[in-house]
Amino acid sequence: MTQPTRPTLDRRQLLQGLGAAASLPLLGGLAAPAFANGGDGRVVVIGGGFGGATAAKYLKRGNPALQVTLVEPQSTFYTCPFSNLFLGGLREMESIAHGYDELRDRYGVEVVHARAEDIDPVAHKVSLTGGRELAYDRLVLSPGIDIRWNALEGYDEAAADLAPHAWKAGPQTRLLKEQLEGMEDGGTFVMVAPANPFRCPPGPYERASMVAHYFSQHKPNAKVLILDAKDNFSKQGLFTAGWERLYGDRIEWVGLSGDGRVTRVDAANREVETEFGTRHQADVLNVIPPQKAGWIADRAGVTDDSGWVPVQPATFESTRVPDIHVVGDATIAAPMPKSGFCANAQAKVAAAAIVAALAGRSAPEPYWTNTCYSLVGPEYGISVAGVYRLADGQIASVEGAGGLSPMEASDEVRRMEAQYAVGWYNAICQDTWGTEA
Amino acid sequence: MSYPSPLTTRLALAGALLFTAPPLLASDAWQRLEPARALVGDAVPEGDGLVLELPHVSEDGSAVPLTVRFEPVLEDDAIASIHLFATGNPYPEVAGFHFTEQAARPEVSTRVRLNESQRVVAVAVSREGRVWTSEREVRVTVSGCLIRGDEETPEALANPRVSLPDFRAGEPGEVRTLITHPMETGLREGPDGEVLPRYIIETFRVSLDGETAFEAELHPSVSANPYLRFYLTPQAEGEALFEWQDDSGERAEYRAELTLS
Ligand SMILES: Cc1cc2nc3c(=O)[nH]c(=O)nc-3n(C[C@H](O)[C@H](O)[C@H](O)COP(=O)(O)OP(=O)(O)OC[C@H]3O[C@@H](n4cnc5c(N)ncnc54)[C@H](O)[C@@H]3O)c2cc1C
Repeated sequence: MTQPTRPTLDRRQLLQGLGAAASLPLLGGLAAPAFANGGDGRVVVIGGGFGGATAAKYLKRGNPALQVTLVEPQSTFYTCPFSNLFLGGLREMESIAHGYDELRDRYGVEVVHARAEDIDPVAHKVSLTGGRELAYDRLVLSPGIDIRWNALEGYDEAAADLAPHAWKAGPQTRLLKEQLEGMEDGGTFVMVAPANPFRCPPGPYERASMVAHYFSQHKPNAKVLILDAKDNFSKQGLFTAGWERLYGDRIEWVGLSGDGRVTRVDAANREVETEFGTRHQADVLNVIPPQKAGWIADRAGVTDDSGWVPVQPATFESTRVPDIHVVGDATIAAPMPKSGFCANAQAKVAAAAIVAALAGRSAPEPYWTNTCYSLVGPEYGISVAGVYRLADGQIASVEGAGGLSPMEASDEVRRMEAQYAVGWYNAICQDTWGTEA
Repeated sequence: MSYPSPLTTRLALAGALLFTAPPLLASDAWQRLEPARALVGDAVPEGDGLVLELPHVSEDGSAVPLTVRFEPVLEDDAIASIHLFATGNPYPEVAGFHFTEQAARPEVSTRVRLNESQRVVAVAVSREGRVWTSEREVRVTVSGCLIRGDEETPEALANPRVSLPDFRAGEPGEVRTLITHPMETGLREGPDGEVLPRYIIETFRVSLDGETAFEAELHPSVSANPYLRFYLTPQAEGEALFEWQDDSGERAEYRAELTLS
């Protein structure tokens, strides 16, 4: 998780210095696409996760004549969705691994395994590790999140090797699993949960559930303590009821008003301190730190002072820099949550808008759906669903659509939802990478 | 790795992306608020100085973090109070903070309720009657994954918490306080469909050796379990008394011996 050192004056400051911070509304529509090669247009997609892989595929499906290049450093992508199930001992890492063969072989996407190092939004060029440059007519960014190192005192990259975040799936997830396995029975797993907004609002609580499940099988005397910077969280009532039902008092949650906000981390001693001076000793410490849009978005000049990327909802084109579309966790798309499901849905909207724009048509009217399933236990699933449309140029929830799992439900209903979760996972991975889990 | 030189990029950008800054949004929302007009009186609000920090977009309108601070150092004058208003709430008054020489840095953080997307207004008044205003637009939208059911109501005035720094004489030190209280607005229905009566903490006061150093008046737009972060500038060692008083007449307190280093 190393990042290249950046020049002192970053692109974002430059753009802001020039007044671009104001707004860049429809500039994208002004410049007619100039196709160097006389083809149907070149689109570069950065990031091969939920948003990027979906965008690459749907661009090609929308117009096979487009030249689509996907830039992603890893040749195997591990999904965060279901990585909690790996921690719970329900799955192997291989079952959440996906590759890019289908995008390449079936859809004709050029897949380049490199990291985008810089973006020149004026010359419409992306430079990659290894020196290659890619020119684009339209650029799609789906870089996901980056950690705000040191935003939480004591939590830097070195601390993450001792107290993993595991908020990007891969080596961090394996490290956390190893630590859980190495922990003595009777120990405490402490999770530090962040304030909004962050990747996957129900994710911390699903993780706590899965760790509690693992403990119930292997370390019957171990505890889970969640220290939260919020007073309420996604599907709270459902999680709390499920925890009681399955795990008794194994999981303790301390919210913001109970002095749950951690303000200092001592990773070496696995100790954390809260805002009002309470110290908690962990045997395994999982810090889910404050986050921001992936740093390449800064290089493109599309982030605002919140660290996230404002977009035009109808097309997911940046409000700041023309011809750059940003999707997924990096964007400000509330009320849509930062979920894999939303990244996939937004990518389809951006792909349709780009296909239309390059053909000189206007973008179709979008709508989006989202369902977040969480597993409280192997046979105990809960969900929240939403439908979103444009209202007054902004994304709005459609009233009455979607909703939560019922608070009162039979074990059978919870078991069915756990199965739907697996069905959902298989379907979205199939849709995104074309690979079965 | 090579980066384009900032200068080339700057020139190129200047050519390609030249925009004129939009006219400043009129910052006069305070004029539509009776209590804010009363504060401003005949004074003409001055420009920069009062800074209001709020997220542009909040995913949870029940507790939106807010910081307000007055930055310049005034000569022969000081900020006496800062007042917050939420223009789109049923009761726009949010809170008023009163500073003294023993709370000489005018900066406060708290958490507020915002009913809907709206403009939040701050008004600062100095001892000499000078006035500053500041405004911020906040979009409130409940994130899809955050929809939730009924929450538990916290027990009132239980567990006052205070975090104190190591004070140095004459220097502002950051203080944080937190207390449980439902801060019932008087607008919400309980589970039985009956409107729950208003029930809030109305005042919070810090006294240093019997003398008021910092005071806050709170309204229903302050979030449940009021949180306040502010600065004290104790001049001498002595006892600090923190008091919360609610509208049912109940009170909670916290005492600490202040030492200076
Ligand atoms: C524990 C956990 C559980 C979750 N569970 C769910 C769930 O059940 N359902 C759900 O819908 N969502 C879930 N999520 C959320 C989901 O993982 C994210 O919302 C989703 O991954 C966002 O997609 P994205 O494309 O924005 O980012 P990502 O999927 O993270 O993809 C970003 C990609 O960009 C690449 N990249 C970054 N920078 C560069 C660069 N400079 N050059 C080239 N490539 C770059 C990265 O290598 C990465 O592959 C979960 C998240 C976590 C942490």
